[in-house]
Amino acid sequence: MKKALLSTILLLMTVLILPHIISPFMVYLSTEILVFAIFAMSLGLIMGFGGMPSLGHCAQFGLGAYTVAILSEYTANIYLLLGAAILISLCFSLVTGYIAIRNKGVFFLMITLAFTQVLFLITSRMKFWGGNDGYSASVTANFGFGEITSNIGLFYMMGFFFVLTYFLLKLFVNAPAGKVLKGMMENEGRMIALGYNPKTYKMFAYLIAGSMAGLAGGLYIYKTQFVSPALFSVHMGAEVMIMVFIGGMGTIFGPALGAGAFVFLQNYISTMTDRWPLILGLLFIAIVLLKRGGILHLIQFVSTFGLKLFKSSRNAPVDKQVKGKEQAS
Amino acid sequence: MILHPCLFKKYTEEVISSKVFILKGVEQVEFFIANTVSGLAYAMLLFLMAAGLSIIFGLMKIMNLAHGSFFILAGYVAYSFSRSGMNFWLSMVLAVIVISIFALIIEKLLISRVHGSETDQVLLTVGLVFVLGDLALWIWGGNFLSIPVPALFDYSLDFVGMTFPAYRLFVIAMGILFAFVLWYFEAKTRVGMIVRAGVDDMEMVSALGFNVKIIFSGVFIFGAALAAFGGVLSGPILGMYPMMEWEILVNSMIVVIIGGLGSWKGAFIASMIVGFVDIFGRIYMPTFAMAFIFILMVAILMVKPTGLFGRVES
Repeated sequence: MKKALLSTILLLMTVLILPHIISPFMVYLSTEILVFAIFAMSLGLIMGFGGMPSLGHCAQFGLGAYTVAILSEYTANIYLLLGAAILISLCFSLVTGYIAIRNKGVFFLMITLAFTQVLFLITSRMKFWGGNDGYSASVTANFGFGEITSNIGLFYMMGFFFVLTYFLLKLFVNAPAGKVLKGMMENEGRMIALGYNPKTYKMFAYLIAGSMAGLAGGLYIYKTQFVSPALFSVHMGAEVMIMVFIGGMGTIFGPALGAGAFVFLQNYISTMTDRWPLILGLLFIAIVLLKRGGILHLIQFVSTFGLKLFKSSRNAPVDKQVKGKEQAS
Repeated sequence: MILHPCLFKKYTEEVISSKVFILKGVEQVEFFIANTVSGLAYAMLLFLMAAGLSIIFGLMKIMNLAHGSFFILAGYVAYSFSRSGMNFWLSMVLAVIVISIFALIIEKLLISRVHGSETDQVLLTVGLVFVLGDLALWIWGGNFLSIPVPALFDYSLDFVGMTFPAYRLFVIAMGILFAFVLWYFEAKTRVGMIVRAGVDDMEMVSALGFNVKIIFSGVFIFGAALAAFGGVLSGPILGMYPMMEWEILVNSMIVVIIGGLGSWKGAFIASMIVGFVDIFGRIYMPTFAMAFIFILMVAILMVKPTGLFGRVES
């Protein structure tokens, strides 16, 4: 709890200071990064802590986005809109989770992917909501203290939600329920023998992840003002998955880092070549073949290694003295 | 985030006529039969895909998401061969051989490294789908391509006043033939026996002295060749277009889920169900066609979580 609070405050400080030290374009890009960070963290929860790989996690994201886009015709109240986005994706998660969680691993993946494909096909045929061409909505965020239109304002709005979801996730993972969930992933048989029902805990994590993705989808609209069936495409699901992997699976903050690296890389590479899917695919394959974990694992490794080095350098003279004495004698 | 353009084309638009609902009596029956033929042809293509997918998972415990890419790549390769002047049959054989060799390389280089880790398999094969899809886009472009119908079957059969395209009937015949060959192979031959035993307990098979690596490679190539065969067969019917690999993959995954992993009989029956529901759903309720298949899948999973004829615990 203390540690979670500390890291959250640190993150909050970073989010507050960041837009004042980076270029305006980076602020614009970071807004997107923050949305995808929320999305990737939600997938990171079920993949890294629940052992439920999902290629169809973009369903909840897309549903959140569509909900806000469609309902924004009737109301501009952001609390209502985001609430509806969360609620709809929660309901969707409830239905899909009930069916998918009975199965493990690849079967889970196939079922969630199939659900997402259904949404993809339905939205791409729905002429009413734009069909294949997508649906543009004009939404402005207003939390009751003025409309947020500037890039920095949007950045802070996304940043606030990012820090909030980070804190909640951190609380959940450190809570007994989160520990049980991780235990399920590592050794389900033992947890069942200890008297825990795996389905309940997995479902709970799945619902949290689903509603978080819905929230991220809702926020996404405030940045892009546009939804299209591509939100439900396998590409989207795979991209989030790669964010989780680049960042580091099994950590909370890792996927957020991965989202940052991914969006940055994508923007950078897209300016140079059209062959982005090719590079993305090669990235996937490279990550699997190298088997080195993500960015956060690297940072953790370097920091622990550095700490060891630091300690050993302080002890070095003593060692040398001992060795010197041994040689002398 | 750059959103990828949706390049989906509806391949059955030719059968969707605006007059569906005003057809009466005999016409209705004719329409029904004509679409049954389309549905069956589609089902057979799905079966060829799903059989490979199912046996690869059943035996190797590998979820090969790149299976759809084999399907579509075979179509593209055969298209190139036939454009260079070869006839349909030769280009089909060559395409199947090319894809089999390609599958062997992929199995040896990449797939064999990710045994046991599901997330690695998913990442690796998804990466492969992206790479192969983008390479295909690079080489063959983003337009809708289709292989010309072979001259041997380029006519329609007239039967009690109805016309059937001969090529679709040929595809159905090939599907049934292959179902029979697979059944014979699985039930009556020694290799089939080893494969069946491997689905149940691979470790025991390896303890009995069979070379697991060769069995794995063999099954993987066989599955890829089946998909490639289906891909070439589908060339004149469905054609090839970007992102098609996902569509065909998801449909055959649903077939595998409904039919049960590791069962060819299940794959055959489930592909018939999915093929019919897909074709008729597209005609009567185009928006929700997929949803029908889906409701069916959910209903079956509720009753029997391993699928209709599942041998492998999910």
